[in-house]
Amino acid sequence: MLPTIKGRTVPPFLHPVVFVGAFTLLGLLFALQEWVSLHSWNSHIIITFKLLTAAWCVHYFLLGAICWLLWWWLGAHIQKATPICMATRVLPLSLAVSVFEEMIWVAVFPQLPLGLPRMTYWHRLAFHLDSDLVDSLVLFWAVFFLLRGIGYYQLYREKEYAAVQLETQFANAQLRALRMQLNPHFLFNTMNSISSLMQIDIAAADKMLEQLSSLLRITLERGDVQLIPLSDEMEFVEMYLAMQDRRFAGRVRQEVNVEPDLYDALVPAMLLQPVIENAYTHGLSRLDRNGLIAIDVRRQNEMLAISVINSGLGLRPESPNGSGRRGVGLANIKDRLRLHYGNGQGFTIEELARGKVRVAITLPLQFSERPTRQLTGYGV
Amino acid sequence: MIHTVLADDEVLARQKLRQLLRNEPEIDVVGEGATAIETIELVRATKPQLLFLDIQMPGMDGLDVATELCSDTNVSPKPHIIFTTAHDQYALRAFEIHAMDYLLKPFTQERLSSAVERARKEITVNQHPAGNSAPGQSGSHYTTRIVFKSRGRIVFLPVSDIRWISAEENYVRICTQNETHLLRETMARLEEKLDPDMFLRVHRSSIVNLQHVKEVRTEADGEYAVVLVNGEKLTMSRGYRSRINGWLTHN
Repeated sequence: MLPTIKGRTVPPFLHPVVFVGAFTLLGLLFALQEWVSLHSWNSHIIITFKLLTAAWCVHYFLLGAICWLLWWWLGAHIQKATPICMATRVLPLSLAVSVFEEMIWVAVFPQLPLGLPRMTYWHRLAFHLDSDLVDSLVLFWAVFFLLRGIGYYQLYREKEYAAVQLETQFANAQLRALRMQLNPHFLFNTMNSISSLMQIDIAAADKMLEQLSSLLRITLERGDVQLIPLSDEMEFVEMYLAMQDRRFAGRVRQEVNVEPDLYDALVPAMLLQPVIENAYTHGLSRLDRNGLIAIDVRRQNEMLAISVINSGLGLRPESPNGSGRRGVGLANIKDRLRLHYGNGQGFTIEELARGKVRVAITLPLQFSERPTRQLTGYGV
Repeated sequence: MIHTVLADDEVLARQKLRQLLRNEPEIDVVGEGATAIETIELVRATKPQLLFLDIQMPGMDGLDVATELCSDTNVSPKPHIIFTTAHDQYALRAFEIHAMDYLLKPFTQERLSSAVERARKEITVNQHPAGNSAPGQSGSHYTTRIVFKSRGRIVFLPVSDIRWISAEENYVRICTQNETHLLRETMARLEEKLDPDMFLRVHRSSIVNLQHVKEVRTEADGEYAVVLVNGEKLTMSRGYRSRINGWLTHN
């Protein structure tokens, strides 16, 4: 498992085994280099390869281990260190670390240096420090700045990630709000129709209440899921159309045509209901007979193309007090499409010949990964 | 007359049911229960043929009441049960314990009438066991009814009500007299569940209920078509023609 500092994951090369291993490998390379040079210069010093390798590897192993421990203990302080702090604290620390490491190393290898008269521990320490101190300091500071750089990079990545997350959350909140705006709107409109029907036709009001319950049941079951399979959306649309059909008593012919291979395509929930409601309120309700609403869903160059055509009076300017209402449902859809798909979608409303109006929606074709769970049972 | 008992803990719910059932001439309400215990006792005492049962009642729920009545040897014949509930999540269990129908509240006279009509048919058939039961229905392992959710309703559909079934990619469309339902199911799986004496695959993408077939016709372009009693026409693959012709001459 990777060690973490304050919940941050650590890059793989800072794993203790990798980090200290790299240092030891560096020591091994220096040992090889010295071995080669000793042989090519035909030096009088006789040292076994084993001892030479051990000395160098232990030296760098110790440095690596101490650096890693320091990084592990100090962690985030490495980035926060100011120049003053570096001069007053890190510099003495680097000296202390180098000397401390050398002290351990000298204790481990009492037989070194070779070819010289026997010396006391302190003499040997002074002798080795003289040749190794600068190397150790350079290594220490190189590691220090490397870690500092990594820290900055990580911080930058974290900030970037947080910004993206914030953006997504904001978009989700907006989507949820837009989605929730639709339910009460539609609910109260229908309840008002029922309330009106109750006075004149009890059976019709009763039927409409049943239809509303079914629509509500489906809506509640879905919760606030944003994208649903087209088959679910079309089920809702068909129920809504059945309810409208009853209200308009057969004055409007309804045509629904969906390419069957698109049933599993994902669409924003409650995408079509506001469009259809709009078609009825502003177009079909103005006609006495022979109204037509045609809903067509097809595949168009890897896009899902939905078209809703209704007959009526075309896109006439509304009366002054009604002009704002046409916008709410459609603006809601436009906003949601933009939030879901960015620029990869299209929404147009246009007038065709003979007072017909067409709303055309295109969105990227995506399919649900898992088919919806469906209650189905067979029995005798 | 069909002796009927109503069970619901809510007075208004019972009142609505009673009122709607007044419009059903064959229904005779012999008692009303407000709790599970009361209902069980009422059924034991009156031995009704039909029981309208709410699911969520204090003490014991409607499904437990139904199970209790099924295992009770004193209750014979068993009443046919129609569940009435506001919740759709018990539908599968209700289906499994052979409930007649499952009405989601609020329901209309229309919906109630269709449930009553189905119960009436069933009760009549049971009274005359030698009567006209559908072919292959008794003792076979084929499905005789399907439960699914469609347009916010729970449908317990007897397969004899199906006219034809068509494939739509990963879905099938089941067509009855008045409605069509889209189900996520494959033709192959449906075909193996349905009694081959009753349903025939006439095309890669359609299965037809033979009881609703009027004739097989040769079209102008040389293709074959199956014509249903109601005038609907289905295209037919050549390979299936002899099978359906054989069936038509036999009947």
